[in-house]
Amino acid sequence: MITMNKVSKHYGAFQVLTDCSTQVHKGEVIVVCGPSGSGKSTLIKVVNGLEPFQSGEIIVNGVSVGDPKTNLSKLRSTVGMVFQNFELFPHMSIIDNLAIAQVKVLGRTQEVARDKGFKLLDRVGLRAQAEKYPGQLSGGQQQRVAIARALAMDPICMLFDEPTSALDPEMVNEVLDVMTELAREGMTMMCVTHEMGFAKRVASRVIFMDQGRIVEDDSKEAFFENPRSERAQQFLAKILHH
Amino acid sequence: MGYNWNWGVFLQPAASGGDTYLGWMFHGFKTTIALSLSAWLIALAVGAVVGVLRTVPNKWLSGLATAYVEIFRNIPLLVQLFLWYFVMPELLPESLGNAFKQSNPFMQQFLSSMICLALFTSARVAEQVRSGINSLPRGQKNAALAMGFTLPQTYRYVLLPMAVRLIVPPLTSEFLNIFKNSAVCSTIGLLELAAQGRQLVDYTAQPYESFIAVTLAYLVINVVVMFSMRWLESRTRVPGYIGGK
Repeated sequence: MITMNKVSKHYGAFQVLTDCSTQVHKGEVIVVCGPSGSGKSTLIKVVNGLEPFQSGEIIVNGVSVGDPKTNLSKLRSTVGMVFQNFELFPHMSIIDNLAIAQVKVLGRTQEVARDKGFKLLDRVGLRAQAEKYPGQLSGGQQQRVAIARALAMDPICMLFDEPTSALDPEMVNEVLDVMTELAREGMTMMCVTHEMGFAKRVASRVIFMDQGRIVEDDSKEAFFENPRSERAQQFLAKILHH
Repeated sequence: MGYNWNWGVFLQPAASGGDTYLGWMFHGFKTTIALSLSAWLIALAVGAVVGVLRTVPNKWLSGLATAYVEIFRNIPLLVQLFLWYFVMPELLPESLGNAFKQSNPFMQQFLSSMICLALFTSARVAEQVRSGINSLPRGQKNAALAMGFTLPQTYRYVLLPMAVRLIVPPLTSEFLNIFKNSAVCSTIGLLELAAQGRQLVDYTAQPYESFIAVTLAYLVINVVVMFSMRWLESRTRVPGYIGGK
């Protein structure tokens, strides 16, 4: 479903990604982790073309992301994305947040879009908040709405960019629960996260990055039980000890 | 001080035109309003476009918009007015220039003043629009693009609705300024409010009454603008958003 082949990216002289290659198959859940500044977020932002890259190739569902002829908007409408800071549209009610792109991008009618929105809000347990505005919800609720908003577009895969990093600790689980359920239903997912519990529960594979390179790309068992690189061993020692 | 107050002067028949001096004042008042409102509408439209262009990821477009803003906000308003009124008609194609010069003087003065105020103010509006867009979290644009919105859709549905709400208070100042700046147009002979005030002094020798009336008239305009912008601000307030209720 997603193939990355020797993808490199730099800002001026600063190398952000170096020769990153990996594949994500349908139904797989890939957890991307690594120290800050290792290029994790950039790795998933190049997948839907939010960040340009200079060399290499990315194919999403048969479409080349780097090809200037590719209709990026169309490609992006098939790839759901969830951000660290939720990024709901503050001037729209929750249900309008879910409906607007369905109407303006997919051409659904307002009625169909709202229906679908209400169903998804039900699913993330927020049906009662439909007419409120994002600023009136807690962080955890906003992030669940953001996930529902991405799902409303019927994406073929979902990208998560540190979805729980901006949340109060007590709200992390409500978001992880929604993500776990999604993974169990067979959604193809790429998640940048430090939630190793989530990785252990649902990941098919774990990608470990350091200094813009994919250092490990292995099954979760292999990654957690005997990471091959020293860098990953150090990382796991730090992150799993508290 | 041996000044003879005479508020009755406003009701006296004016020196020409079969009107009272109050009628003259009212005429100037209407001209000021018509001039400022029409210039403001143009300034909003042009300023919105230029402000948006300053933020788009295209060097040529944003460069062009930057040049526009720098030109119109760095030349003194009075100089711009003279350029529009005295120089521009000479630069137009001859037939158009002649048509302009043969139209009625009020029309010439009004058009030059309107264009001048509109473009001067549009540069300032553009700066507000730009700063409004730039003050939004960067992720908003990414979130909109990630859902499949095109760049124009992203501006239309996501960035501008919030940016415009954020800049209502600074836009209020610009709106007030355009009424005050319109007084400059008396220098090319346009009989707007300030010019009528001066004319009244010449005809009646009652400067205090005349300029107190002018001052009150500007005050009325600005109070109305202030309250309507405040009303607009509260009407468009986003629930739960910072500064919201």
